[in-house]
Amino acid sequence: MALRLLTRNLRNRISPNLCSASLLHSHATSFGFKEVREEEKSQMVGKVFSNVASNYDLMNDFMSAGLHRLWKDRLVSKLTPFPGMKHLDVAGGTGDVAFRILESINSIRRRALQDPINDDLQEETRIYVCDINQNMLNVGKNRALERGLGEDKSLVWVQGDAEALSFEDNSMDGYTIAFGIRNVTHIEKVLTEAYRVLKRGGRFLCLELSHVEIPVFKELYDLYSFSVIPRLGEVVAGDRESYQYLVESIRRFPPQEKFASMIADAGFQKVEYENLVGGVVAIHSGLKI
Amino acid sequence: MYRTVVNRILLSGGSRRLPKYPDIRTVISSSRFSTTTQPQTVLNPSGSSTSSSSSTNFQTSSAAGDVPRHERNNPRAEYEGEQARVLQASLRHVIRLGWSEEAMIAGAKEVGISPSIVGSFPRKEAALVEFFMDDCLQRLIDRIDSGEELQNLTPSQRIYKLVRIRLEMQAPYISKWSQALSIQAHPLNVSTSFKQRAMLIDEIWHAAGDETYDLDWYVKRTVLGGIYSTTEIYMLTDSSPEFRDTWLFLDNRVKDAFDLKKTIQEAKYLAEAVGAGMGSSLQVFVGRVLQR
Repeated sequence: MALRLLTRNLRNRISPNLCSASLLHSHATSFGFKEVREEEKSQMVGKVFSNVASNYDLMNDFMSAGLHRLWKDRLVSKLTPFPGMKHLDVAGGTGDVAFRILESINSIRRRALQDPINDDLQEETRIYVCDINQNMLNVGKNRALERGLGEDKSLVWVQGDAEALSFEDNSMDGYTIAFGIRNVTHIEKVLTEAYRVLKRGGRFLCLELSHVEIPVFKELYDLYSFSVIPRLGEVVAGDRESYQYLVESIRRFPPQEKFASMIADAGFQKVEYENLVGGVVAIHSGLKI
Repeated sequence: MYRTVVNRILLSGGSRRLPKYPDIRTVISSSRFSTTTQPQTVLNPSGSSTSSSSSTNFQTSSAAGDVPRHERNNPRAEYEGEQARVLQASLRHVIRLGWSEEAMIAGAKEVGISPSIVGSFPRKEAALVEFFMDDCLQRLIDRIDSGEELQNLTPSQRIYKLVRIRLEMQAPYISKWSQALSIQAHPLNVSTSFKQRAMLIDEIWHAAGDETYDLDWYVKRTVLGGIYSTTEIYMLTDSSPEFRDTWLFLDNRVKDAFDLKKTIQEAKYLAEAVGAGMGSSLQVFVGRVLQR
């Protein structure tokens, strides 16, 4: 407690760029490189995503040169979905990860068509897509219709807050959060909630933009982030501010090791991370036992 | 299942405990930050320190006298213990479902753990096969240690007996064993399966009473490796009752190998004798030539 007060006092004197990630514990939080009050952060994030919702997928393709699809494929393959699974995808608004999981399960099922048990199980598969922003969910529902998954009762769209989930304890086999945890106000609360809703043996997987340490590549990446991306946002989506927020929030997010220790603090075991593209993106995973 | 895992760690001691497949890139295990457990060393990727650190934890926890069941006091061993339970249960489904994820999912359901845990095994089916190989090796070691059967046999008979015991452990899975072999031959898995087989061969030679430390050691391991592998493959296509033909084949191979050894010995003596004989007559001849 005393440590928190101390850090809060110190923080007011130290410039934002030198703040360490542990300061996210205090009652003011970061919105990119700006310091804002906690209550404001979720509103501001909400505005960002309402603004970007319609162009979200297009901008993802532009910014990552299409790589985000591969990253999400890798996330789902690490998950190893199975028929009858109850899965929760948080901050999964437009449904990318959820669609991939569903398709993976359906293809397993087609392969095992001769096994009658699996057919019944297939009926029980549920993939919950939870997002705090209704605009993103709406975009996701439309995309589901386009892909022919509109009638599929395995997909359930739920509006909710990652820090206070409406699901029961020990009810989920898997939990994923892709490019979402950067935007929450209290990372630890999200991790604790994730631990709560997972069953024994359930896995937590987080795909997030992370820190690059490789010398030359780091400079190039910084250049790309701060010069190209906001400009791209301005031109394609007409919204420079939101994309400025995006690149700043990546820098403020804890580095891989620190985030891994936060996951372990929440109670997960076998916490590992895998860097993709030299650390531009990292997939953290944990097991609940 | 907890108890057998715990017993093996406690009772068999460092030298006999098989190192488990190591965790690559595991950053942290939870108990470092948990308040209820004993303080732990940072995770070390090597297998042997896994067993030594978990055994020191058992000692400290029993010294503290806290909880009757050791597993509860050591969450780090817990997930590995749970994984082992899942794998053990999965073996019962292998006959029906093969060495596959489906078998592991069925095993997890049987044990009451979410099948998502299957995703946490680095190489899935390979993990199951490797677990089985380790398990068989451990059972073989147990049988050797309880060892009345081997007392009055010659080395070649001991080798025959040990290889037979080991292969009989695979007999229930023989219908799916070719799948296991192909999994072991996969490039990602080759190094681990090679190591396991090397340990197995070493163990068998050790039990057969081999004490050599020179170049011969490699020759013996290679020869026995060959005998074991060929017999294993022969067993795949053997349909005789109780694999009688396989044991006959094994017997012949072992005899051949030991005969080969004697043959090589005799060939060496012969070569020496011939060399000696030739050498002396050559000397005399050269002497005569030079004298002229």
